[in-house]
Amino acid sequence: MSAGTITLIDYEAGNLASLEGALERLGFPFVRAASPDQAAEAGPIVLPGVGHFEAAQRSLRDRGWWSALPGLVADGRPLLGICLGLQLLAEGSEEAPGIPGLGLIPGLVRRLGPGVKVPHMGWSQVHQARPHPALPDPDGAWLYFVHSYALEPTDDTLLVAEHGRPFTAAEARGRVMGFQPHPEKSGPDGLRLLRAALAWMGAAAQEAPCN
Amino acid sequence: MPAKRVIPCLDVKNGRVVKGIQFKQLRDLGHPAELARRYDQEGADELVFLDIAASQENRGTREAWVRDVARELTIPFTVGGGVSSIEDARSLLRAGADKVAVNTAASLRPDLVCDLADAFGSQCVVAAVDVKRDPDLGWRVYLKGGTAPTERSAVDWLWELNDLGAGEILLTSMDRDGTGDGFDLPLLDLASELPIPLIASGGAGREVHFLEALQHGADAVLAATLFHEGILPIPRLKAYLAQNDLSVRI
Repeated sequence: MSAGTITLIDYEAGNLASLEGALERLGFPFVRAASPDQAAEAGPIVLPGVGHFEAAQRSLRDRGWWSALPGLVADGRPLLGICLGLQLLAEGSEEAPGIPGLGLIPGLVRRLGPGVKVPHMGWSQVHQARPHPALPDPDGAWLYFVHSYALEPTDDTLLVAEHGRPFTAAEARGRVMGFQPHPEKSGPDGLRLLRAALAWMGAAAQEAPCN
Repeated sequence: MPAKRVIPCLDVKNGRVVKGIQFKQLRDLGHPAELARRYDQEGADELVFLDIAASQENRGTREAWVRDVARELTIPFTVGGGVSSIEDARSLLRAGADKVAVNTAASLRPDLVCDLADAFGSQCVVAAVDVKRDPDLGWRVYLKGGTAPTERSAVDWLWELNDLGAGEILLTSMDRDGTGDGFDLPLLDLASELPIPLIASGGAGREVHFLEALQHGADAVLAATLFHEGILPIPRLKAYLAQNDLSVRI
């Protein structure tokens, strides 16, 4: 196992098959980890997620991830949240009032709308809120979104998208990052941004991908 | 507002993509993952796979090809055909499908829609509805691949599906399906009042038909033969839609 091996958190609230396919295509080695003791020794941790905030929080708690993640981040481990995974990094969500988030990035997650169709489902273009080495040249990228809640933009927001109102499409604080869209399902633009973000986080491609 | 989506629909039988010729002979078009890759590269925004021979014995085969497709695709995909329980949906989602489509089983047991939405989130649940114009009901809902009429009015059923927690509607006009005469626009006008996304299906024959459907409120357009036969390549369709001031991913 190389130093840059990615740890993919497996907690039954993510669609791992697409993410695994994307990592294979990008040539990034990874392990699936149901609990923190299965994590790779170093390298970025990826927190995927679809479904309900509270159910995901409970599932992460039951598997020991909820208590382990803040310590791992404090020790300098890079962490990437995707979709609900990003929302779980924030302070909390209107979807589950009273249930705290991990609080690793600032801000609150609020329901989209009114006045637009919810969930926000489909392809939207993102715009750069501030430059960041993890996401070179992201302006105008088309990414695939499917969500009913979104993080309000903060000073740490890197990319903004709009659905009724502007919301955070990507955020970074230190080595903690998150995408609201699914870069693994967002065609060439998504794979390019996912590759850049994971490489910045220290993931090492073992060999050139064959396609 | 997200971009308008262009969605090829693929029929799958026993793990192969097939195309019917005059409803009888089925022509083999290849493995689902091969066609998935082709459409991914051509710029399709999403794919829908309908398992037309779904049966208990077939479940293992289905899981295997769904897994292959998930690894090949860099865009989302929906799988439908005979989904009648939480377990059916779970096995498809675990294999890598992004959404499941339900049709007949949801009509026979509407609770299935809210059970699926509770278990996996509304964004995973596509309600497929096949309808035909009807003197009494406006449009009548049909089941079992369009062979079994119900007593439901299409518009009432669409709103009920929305209330049950469906995340998206895949609406097929049986009157128009296969005709190439264009989508049923008055139907789309009514259905697009729903607060959830609408995929229009049935009737696409030319570029302008897609434009009309999207102008009449559809969020996405679906077709099969036009794309499979290469009659209308997706890049050409998208360029046409963009020229007509629609937001599409190019």
